[in-house]
Formats: sequence, C-alpha cells, structure tokens
Amino acid sequence: MTTLHVISHSPFGDNRLASCLRLLGTDDAILLCGDAVYALRAGTAPQQLLQTARLQHRLFALAEDAQARAIDSTLAEAVDYPAFVELSLRFDKVNSWL
Amino acid sequence: MKFAIAVFSPAHAPSSRRALRFAEAALAGGHQIARLFFYQDGVHSASANVVTPQDELDVAAQWRAFIEGNQLDAVVCIAAALRRGVLDATEANRYQRPAVNLPAPWELSGLGQLHEAAQVADRLVCFGGD
Repeated sequence: MTTLHVISHSPFGDNRLASCLRLLGTDDAILLCGDAVYALRAGTAPQQLLQTARLQHRLFALAEDAQARAIDSTLAEAVDYPAFVELSLRFDKVNSWL
Repeated sequence: MKFAIAVFSPAHAPSSRRALRFAEAALAGGHQIARLFFYQDGVHSASANVVTPQDELDVAAQWRAFIEGNQLDAVVCIAAALRRGVLDATEANRYQRPAVNLPAPWELSGLGQLHEAAQVADRLVCFGGD
C-alpha cells in the first residue's frame, strides 16, 4: 500500500514535515503545497531534512504555490493541478496532514 | 475514477481554493466526483452570506457556480454547520433563528455521508489548513 502525503503547513511553524518523514514508507511520496513549499528554501533546516531523506522522484511541489513564494528548487518536481489529480491516483491513498 | 473530496477550511483559506482547483482538474481529466463534503470550518464555504472584498477572489461564489454547473452532490456537515450559524430553512425554523444562509445546491447532512462517499469513491482527498 502506497501513500501520497500532502502537507500544506509551513515547516517553520510545526513538526508535520519531520513527523511525516519519520513514518514515510519506502514507496510513499510527499506533495508540498501552500506554505509547506517553504521547506524547499535553500540553506534552511527543513531543506536539509528533505535532502538527507533522499526522496528522488518522491518529492513534489504544487507549481503555483512555489511560484507565488519565489521558490525555485530542483529538489522537488513541480506539478500543476492535472498532475496533482494524476498523483492522487498513482498512489493507493492520499493522506492530508490537516 | 471517482473522487470524494472533503474540505475542512473556510472559503477565505488558500486550501479551500486548492480543493476547488483540484475538483475542477479532476472533472476536466474525465474523472467523477462522487461527493463534496464540507466539514468543520469548511461549512463557511457554503454560507450564502459571505461577502468577499471586491479585489479578492470570491471562492464561496466559485464553489456555488462549480457545484451548480456540474450538478454535484455537495453535503455540509449538519453538526459543524449549526454550531457555526450556517442554517437552512428547516434548521432556522427548528431553532427559531432569524436567518437562513444555506440555500440549494448545498445540503445539510451527517458525517455518515462522508463515510459513504469514502466507500463509494476510489480516492478520498482532504483539504484543510493553510
């Protein structure tokens, strides 16, 4: 069973991202949206956390939310809404960290 | 594929807009939406009394147009709605409140509708927070 974890809260305000990484399955993926895309800001602790987690092809960011916050990172693959829909079907479950 | 979409945030929250854009993309991609369920503060998205500043996106109005245009099943949690003052004519009458702010296409119902939607749909996707 694979899960797409959707996080929308800023990683600077709570521990959702760290908690999610701790229980992330080997075939699970993370989609960052809203203020959660700040985790991709270069030189920050959350970005370090994502880098060490080695999430190649398993880390995504909602393109318009990253663009709105001037985040341009190669760490995450940018997705638009049609791709978000496709991602939600590629994994067995979608778990939103509300 | 069939989606059930649950919205936990009010119309002025970015996540309510994200839910709407996701729902639009799902239909545009040829998928179906089994049910939209508005829970907790998400019930404010259904209130007919929301007045959005003119220079901001009126997400509540867009939800209404989207639901009417696509004839979707849009359920508002009754317990969450009552405690936040979102009432249809029946409930306003039952509790003797002076205003009704939940007209069609929205429907007041229970949490069981979310459970059923999750069973019927291939995916349940929840939107909330920031």
